[in-house]
Amino acid sequence: MKIALPLLIAFGLAGAAVAQDAGKSVWQGIYTSEQADRGAGVYAQRCGACHGAALNGTGEAPPLIGGEFVSHWDTMTVGDLYDRVRTTMPQNDPMSMTREEYADVLAFLLKNNGFPAGSQPMDKRSEVLATIGITAEKPASSGG
Amino acid sequence: MKIISTLPLSVAAALMLTTSALAQTPGKEGVAAARTTNGVANWTTYNADLKGSRYSPLDQINPDNFKDLEIAWRFKTDILGSRPEYKLESTPLAVDGVIYTTGGTRRAVVALNGATGELLWQYAMHEGKRSAESPRALSGRGLSYWTDGTRRRILYVTIGYRLVSLDADTGRPDPDFGTNGVVDLKTDFDQDLGDLDTGEVGVHSAPAVSGNTIIIGAAFREGFTPKTHNNTKGYVRAFDVRTGKRMWTFHTVPKKGEFGYETWLNNSADVNGNTGVWTQVSVDEDLGLAYLAVESPTSDFFGGKRPGPNLFGNSLVAVDLKTGERRWHFQLIHHEIWDLDNSSAPLLMDVTVDGKPRKVVGLPSKQGFFYVFDRATGVPVWPIKETKVAKGNVPGEWYSPTQPIPSKPPVYARNGVEEKDLIDFTPDMKKKALELTSNYVLGPVYTPPIVSTPEKFGVINNWAQGGTNWPGGSFDPETGIAYVYACGACISSTGLLPPPAGLSDIPLVVGVAGQPVVMIKGPGEGAGADSPAPSTPVGASSGPPRLAVDGLPLVKPPYGTISAIDVNNGTIKWQVAHGETPDFVRNHPVIKAMGGIPRTGQSTYQIGTLVTKGLVIAGENQFTRTEDRPRGAMLRAYDKQSGKEVGAVFMPSTQSGSPMTYMVNGKQYIIVPTSGGNASGEFLAYALPSKR
Repeated sequence: MKIALPLLIAFGLAGAAVAQDAGKSVWQGIYTSEQADRGAGVYAQRCGACHGAALNGTGEAPPLIGGEFVSHWDTMTVGDLYDRVRTTMPQNDPMSMTREEYADVLAFLLKNNGFPAGSQPMDKRSEVLATIGITAEKPASSGG
Repeated sequence: MKIISTLPLSVAAALMLTTSALAQTPGKEGVAAARTTNGVANWTTYNADLKGSRYSPLDQINPDNFKDLEIAWRFKTDILGSRPEYKLESTPLAVDGVIYTTGGTRRAVVALNGATGELLWQYAMHEGKRSAESPRALSGRGLSYWTDGTRRRILYVTIGYRLVSLDADTGRPDPDFGTNGVVDLKTDFDQDLGDLDTGEVGVHSAPAVSGNTIIIGAAFREGFTPKTHNNTKGYVRAFDVRTGKRMWTFHTVPKKGEFGYETWLNNSADVNGNTGVWTQVSVDEDLGLAYLAVESPTSDFFGGKRPGPNLFGNSLVAVDLKTGERRWHFQLIHHEIWDLDNSSAPLLMDVTVDGKPRKVVGLPSKQGFFYVFDRATGVPVWPIKETKVAKGNVPGEWYSPTQPIPSKPPVYARNGVEEKDLIDFTPDMKKKALELTSNYVLGPVYTPPIVSTPEKFGVINNWAQGGTNWPGGSFDPETGIAYVYACGACISSTGLLPPPAGLSDIPLVVGVAGQPVVMIKGPGEGAGADSPAPSTPVGASSGPPRLAVDGLPLVKPPYGTISAIDVNNGTIKWQVAHGETPDFVRNHPVIKAMGGIPRTGQSTYQIGTLVTKGLVIAGENQFTRTEDRPRGAMLRAYDKQSGKEVGAVFMPSTQSGSPMTYMVNGKQYIIVPTSGGNASGEFLAYALPSKR
C-alpha cells in the first residue's frame, strides 16, 4: 500500500520502543488482509464522505492516517479505538453498523497506517480488543 | 405563546416536560448552599470581561508554584446529551463560588459547586429536528451572566438558535423574558428563514451582555460547499435583558439604501448571505460601543456572485450599544475569498503610544496580522496600507486590486506558504517537498484560490484553520501586552471545481481535480444530541494527497506559537513554540539522527490563553508521550515578561476550550475544558495542594 510507506519509514526504523508488558500488540498481525479489503468497501460507503477516500480528512473531520493520528492513539488499546468508532461513528448515525463491519473498518485503518496483517481476523469483542496495545513505534522484538 | 405555536406538538411537549422535570433537580437549595462571598474572585463573562482580556489579577497560583497544581475536581459532560461530546469548547463562568457552563451534545446548562464540582442544577432544551438540523451543534463556547443586584440570570443560545434566560439560582426559565423564558432567534430577524426547523442559522458564541443589552451574532454551515449564495444573512441583534424584546438589528449585509449597499455590485447584497458575527462581541461600556468582528460573505473561496468589496464582510464594526447604529468600520479584507474570516474577539486595550494614552481595539486574525485602531474613531494607530495583491484567474471571480496590510505590529504567524516555508531538515526532504508542491500553487498572503486541475490541485495555504481562530487572544490590562496563540502549520490545499447538480447554486466550490465534489461538514454538524439529521447519500472524495514529507509536516516548525505583542509600541515582545513536539516528529529517525530539534509546538487551532498577575497559561491540544510521563497533554505556564516556561502540569486529556480562573474560600482554581481522541468532554479544575 503506497500510502503507508512514509509511516513505515518513520516508525519501522525507530529502534527500541516501549512494548506492552503483557497481551498483544497491534504490530503482531491482528487482522487479515481480507478483513481490511472488506473494510475498504465499508469505509468508502460510510466514512469516506467526511474523512476522505484517502483518509486525509476534510473540513472538521480529522485525517485517519499519518503520524498525528497514530500518535493520538499511542499506548491506548485497539478496544479503545474500536469503541470510539463504534459508539460515535458515523457521526450522524453512530452504532448503525454491525460489530463485524466496525472491525473491518478498523482493519482497513490499521492497514493504511502500516500495521501488518496476520492470519487471524480481528476479534469483534471490545473486551478482547482492549487487550491489544497500540504503540506508534514498532517494537524491536516484533516480527511484522 | 408564539414559540409553542410555531413548533410541532411533540417539541412543545418536550419543552413542557423539560420544565416540569426541572422541579426535581436540586434547584435553589444547591446554589444557596454553594454561594459564598468568602474569599471569592469571579469570572463573569466568557472572556473574563467585555473587553476580551481573559485576564484575572489572581496571583495565588504564580510562577513559583504553578508546577505544584493538582486536579481538585473533574466534571464529565457525557450525561449532558444523548451521547458524549468530543469537542468541548465552553469556558465556564464563576460567580460567588458557583460555576455556570454549557456542556454536552445537548448544550445543557449546569450550575456546579465551585469548590467541589458537584452538580447543583441542570437545564436542557430538547429541540428535536430543529437541533438536528442546526449548523452549529454541540456545547458551544459558553453562556452569560447578568444581575441588577436582585435578579440573577444565566443567558445562552440553544443549538436550535433560541435565546434562553434562566434564573441563576434555580435553573428555571425566567417567565418575564420572551415567551416563558425563551426568545426564538429565528423570528423577528428582518428576513424570512422559511421553515424554522431547517432555516440555516445557529451560533456557538456566548451572548455579550452589557447593562440592559444582550447582543447576539449568527453562524452558519462551513462555507467550503454552501448550498446557496443566497444563504441566511448574519444580522446582529440586541435584546432587552429583562424582557427579551428586540432592541435593534445591525444589517451586516446592508439593505438597499443603507450605507455600504453599493459595495455589492449589481445589487448583489440582495442575494448573498453569511457575513455573520460568530465570534465573541466585545463592548466598551464607557464609550457605549459594541465591537463586531464580522465574517466573510457566502462563499468562503468563491465570490463571483457578489462582485465588489462587500461591506461589512470581514470588517471590524463599532456600533452604538443602545441603537445599533454604525459609528465606524474598517474592512480588513476586501472581497474575502480565502476563508480568512474574522475569528477573534476584539481586544479593547488601554495603552500608551508615543507617550500618549490611547484607547485602542486590537484584532488578532487567521492571517497573522494584529490590527490596531483607535476604538473611538476607527483610525489605525499605525498606518494600514492598501497594498497591491495578485489577481487570480478563476472564471467569474471579482478581485480586489489591493488589500490593507498593517505596518505594525509585524506579522505574528505564518500567513503564506512559499518555498522558504518548506521542510528542510535534510536536503532530501527539501527536494521531496519541492517535488510534492510542484503540483500546487505556493505564494504569500492573499494568493488567490485557483480552479483545481490535475497539474495544480490547489493553493497550499494556512487559511481556514491557520493563525488565530475562535479562541482569539488575551491581554494584560496593566501592561498593554496582548498574548495570542497562532497555528503555523494548519495547512491545506484549496482548489475550486463546479459542484454536481443539486449540491450548490454556486458555480465553483471546494474540490480536487479528478475526484467527486462532496459536501464538507462544519464544526459539530450532525453530531449534536438530536442527530442523526436526514443524511444525504454522497460519494467520497480523496481530498488532495497528504501534505507531508516522509511522514513529517510539509512546513517548517514552529507549528504553533504564543506571541506577546506589545501594543504600546507595535512590537512582538516574545514568541514561543507552544506545545510539546509531536511524538511522530520527535521520534522520527531523521530527527533523532539530528540529535533532536527545539520544541516545535503543535498544529491546532483550539488553543486559547489565560492571563493572570504573573502568568500566561495554555494547555496542549495533542496527546504526546515523553520519557518521563505517560500519554497525555500538558497545561503550561509562561512568565509574562520573558515567555520563559515556569511550570507545566499533566492533563489526562487535551485542552479543547479556553481556560479560566476564579477563587472561592480563598483558594484559586483554574478550569480547563478538555476533550479529544478517546476522551470525551470533561472540565478539569486545578488548584494548589492544601498541604505541602
